Amino acid sequence: MYTLYFKIAIRYLLKNKLYSVINILGLSIGVASFILIMVYVNYERSYDSFDGSEDVYRVYMDYKQGDTFVPGDAQTYNLTGPTIKNKFPEVLEQVRLYKFDEVVFTYNNKIFKEKDGALADPSYFDIFKYPLLKGDLNSVLQEPNTIVLTQNLATKLFRDENPIGKDIVAFSAGNEVLLRVTGIMNNVPKTTHMKTNFLISYATIHTWDTFGNYYREPNWNQNHFFTYFKVDKNTNIDALKSKIIAWDFQGNFRERHNIESLEDIHLYSNKPYEAEVNGSAVRVKFLTAIAIVILVLAWLNYINLSTTKSLERTKEVGIRKVAGAQRAQLGIQSVIESMILNFGAILLAICISIFVLSIYNKATGSELALTVETIKQLSPVIAIVILAILLVSLYPAWVLSSYSPSKALKGKIRASANGLHIRKGLIITQFLATIVLVMSTIVITKQINHLQNQPLGTSLNNIIAFSGELLTKKDAVLEKKYEVMKNEIMKLPYVTHVVTSNTFPGDGFGNLSSSVGITYPDGTQDDHNVNYSYEVNNPEYFEMMDMKFVAGSTFLPNHKEKNQQVVINEKMAQMIGISNPKEGVGKKIKFWNEEWNITGIVKNYHHFGLKASVIPIIIRYSKVDNYMLVKFDTTITSASGYTQAITQIENVWKQTFPESTFDYTFVDKQFDAQYDDDRQFNKVFRAFTILAICIAALGLFGLTSYTCVQRKKEIGIRKVNGASIFKILKLLNIDFIKWIGIAFVIAIPIAWYAMNSWLENFAVKTTISWWIFVLAGIVTLVITLLTVSWKSFVAASGNPVNVLRDE
Amino acid sequence: MIQIEKLKKSFRTEEVETLALNNVNLKVETGEFVAIMGPSGCGKSTLLNIIGMLDNPNEGYYHFDGQEVGGLKENQRTKIRKGNLGFVFQSFNLIDELTVFENVELPLIYLNVKKSEREQKVRQVLERMKIAHREKHFPQQLSGGQQQRVAIARAVVTNPKLILADEPTGNLDSKNGIEVMNLLTELNQEGTTIVMVTHSDRDSHYAHRVINLFDGQIVTESQNRAIGVQL
Repeated sequence: MYTLYFKIAIRYLLKNKLYSVINILGLSIGVASFILIMVYVNYERSYDSFDGSEDVYRVYMDYKQGDTFVPGDAQTYNLTGPTIKNKFPEVLEQVRLYKFDEVVFTYNNKIFKEKDGALADPSYFDIFKYPLLKGDLNSVLQEPNTIVLTQNLATKLFRDENPIGKDIVAFSAGNEVLLRVTGIMNNVPKTTHMKTNFLISYATIHTWDTFGNYYREPNWNQNHFFTYFKVDKNTNIDALKSKIIAWDFQGNFRERHNIESLEDIHLYSNKPYEAEVNGSAVRVKFLTAIAIVILVLAWLNYINLSTTKSLERTKEVGIRKVAGAQRAQLGIQSVIESMILNFGAILLAICISIFVLSIYNKATGSELALTVETIKQLSPVIAIVILAILLVSLYPAWVLSSYSPSKALKGKIRASANGLHIRKGLIITQFLATIVLVMSTIVITKQINHLQNQPLGTSLNNIIAFSGELLTKKDAVLEKKYEVMKNEIMKLPYVTHVVTSNTFPGDGFGNLSSSVGITYPDGTQDDHNVNYSYEVNNPEYFEMMDMKFVAGSTFLPNHKEKNQQVVINEKMAQMIGISNPKEGVGKKIKFWNEEWNITGIVKNYHHFGLKASVIPIIIRYSKVDNYMLVKFDTTITSASGYTQAITQIENVWKQTFPESTFDYTFVDKQFDAQYDDDRQFNKVFRAFTILAICIAALGLFGLTSYTCVQRKKEIGIRKVNGASIFKILKLLNIDFIKWIGIAFVIAIPIAWYAMNSWLENFAVKTTISWWIFVLAGIVTLVITLLTVSWKSFVAASGNPVNVLRDE
Repeated sequence: MIQIEKLKKSFRTEEVETLALNNVNLKVETGEFVAIMGPSGCGKSTLLNIIGMLDNPNEGYYHFDGQEVGGLKENQRTKIRKGNLGFVFQSFNLIDELTVFENVELPLIYLNVKKSEREQKVRQVLERMKIAHREKHFPQQLSGGQQQRVAIARAVVTNPKLILADEPTGNLDSKNGIEVMNLLTELNQEGTTIVMVTHSDRDSHYAHRVINLFDGQIVTESQNRAIGVQL
């Protein structure tokens, strides 16, 4: 019997090509979108997940902001880890990581610049369960001057040689050290917030001159260490968290320690000084929501089409009933048909997904994949989807099997009032989802544009920044060379400014100092508010960055306390009680046990992207040269012009430091890159919104086709009695307009709520204006009318005799 | 076999109630061939649907083979219909997606007959209806007469006690019509009871007895002497 069911289903689908194509296409687009988004969501959620990762926590610092504590720093002190392990028995093991920006390795006269490495305590492998392929797990990171490499890096450095026991030179911040390879670890997956290519033993801190005493000595002053610990399985984490929060270390009331789950870091942590820019739980939630919406839209289409279409099959149902079919048997047949269609669509969707993923991975270097592992991880979602398919199949089956045989045979079945209500509800829900998505897309696009067009308070155009490991070397000879180089660059055509500094807007937190505790010019001691500071070596910096002074001026090279000069921004001035900027100039502030003269106050500028609000900033005049910033004049107008100018700089660089590499970045591009994630989110959201609209349009098209067929007699009679094409169009389309109206009213608060919560992520927000709603409504209306009018126009303009003769 | 007493059936729309059958009394004996005639809208098909248990009466009694079936639910009626009743319609009512063979096989499937047995029975009946050479064709590929032969094959494949035919020659030309009527007569002569609704005087002559309906009531009943008239 089941073979027959399959046979009929396949033949039915082949015979009704339009119906099958619309249904399978709609469903597979829906399912493919769902799969793609879920693969991405699963990837984002799989960060830092390994054997035992659920028992691992990271310690971070909360800073006092006014009366409350806010997350202030992802990094902690070198005393934090060991003290927590001693003080709290629940903590079984701890590890400290000092993350390098970059280390240069040399082996066999070859230079390798490597990112993603850290100093690590020997307990590393006790907490991060990445397999060690070579070396002794208990001793690899014990001794100073030892290093563990990932397999990839080992191959890169040593090719076919056995790396164990080999020595390599490591170079960082101007100091070198000889390291012996003691272990090879498995490549660390990309799904970790702490990307790792190599681990240098923590004990090397004492032998490598890169690290001064303030790193080496156990202290509560320098927080440059990521601290992780592992707890016993039965630990009450909330209780431990409370104890750690309440723990008064060194009588420090301005900050406190706090903890977070390792697995939560990637999606939920966005603190200053993170190891990398993390993901966003909000984005993941929005994408999950859109995935569900698209899938539901596809199913609503399916239910709608198949129940409408089932009216055409009443004769068949009648014959079967007459031939002795029970209702359940008819139901099963319909469910089997639905299953074939759904699973066919799923198969197609899987093919589409694999294809799209391969293209996406190639284009972006991602490693998203639909693997057996992914399927296993997604098994609860898959179970829900299969259950939903069953439910989706049941409704048409129930409708189809309920027809009375005598009426069915005579073709007297019309949609019941209940059926019509349900169908109306389904269409309104579709419109609702579509309108909400369109509204959201407009808001997201508007916000991204808003961010790009906001005044930053500084101009970053035409500036490149570059640094080299040699640039930071504290060496009199090199310093001299460096001065020569700077003068040489200044002499080049197109170059207007050459400045050195230890960071610049858009460079992130990495090189920015943060501190709490400052004495205002009026003597008030503030122990609550965080301020940020960085160093600049040249007074021209402000002119170069187009930062405008509201009072005072840039640093004075001939000032008697030359190195105690600071320029602050308005926000900082406000924080330290300067209401009139002019009066602030020349005043003294005190922090780090030193007195500083305010020489000027600049307008507020965004040091970070516009997602964050303006921070209070102090810029110190100091001999520093981490970065060299070079500004070109505006006469360069082409990309080749820039290439030429940069090549000239590179030549000067190579003459001065022939053994070092030259890497540069355009400052405006680097600043702009902070919005890459949002832009990508916008693109993805827009793409899926368009897909959702396509699915809804497909469904509407199918539905109108069948409504027109069902109402052809009515249309014919109306036309015979004098109705114009316009009148008929109005008759056929007026319902859709009504339904859009209802959906529109419901959509407004939903879209407003969703977008309002998304905008909460930004310090600078666009407005959710009324025209967005109107525009979304009009877009939906236009798309709908275009979709439905095509078929209804054909129906309305047909020759009435044809249809009436059929009857 | 069929005993109907004081049968009433009305159809109700929102505002109008139409009385389709009014106080109908009818008895059909096993082995009889009965024709029901009357003008359009007199209730012929409604009566046939009730006899065929495709519909329930509003009032009155309907005994089929000694069992009251007038008030049964759809699922119970299906159970009785299975194997006992065969239907032949004016518009053939074949399933377009099924081949000739599969259409005829359908009632056997619902009777849970084994596959080998099914094949044998279907082949037999197709041979008998002289349509075996078309068993792999789909209904649309057949002429009207061939389609009706398939429909009859489907109606008789379970060897039912009663065949209900609703204007079986209505869509056929006279040659095919005669063939169909001869087939029905043959079946009746082999013992199958037949109740047929028809507009055609010619077809009614094949029946033992002709019942005339008018406005939902039986107005005359007449016996035919010459059975199986070949015109």
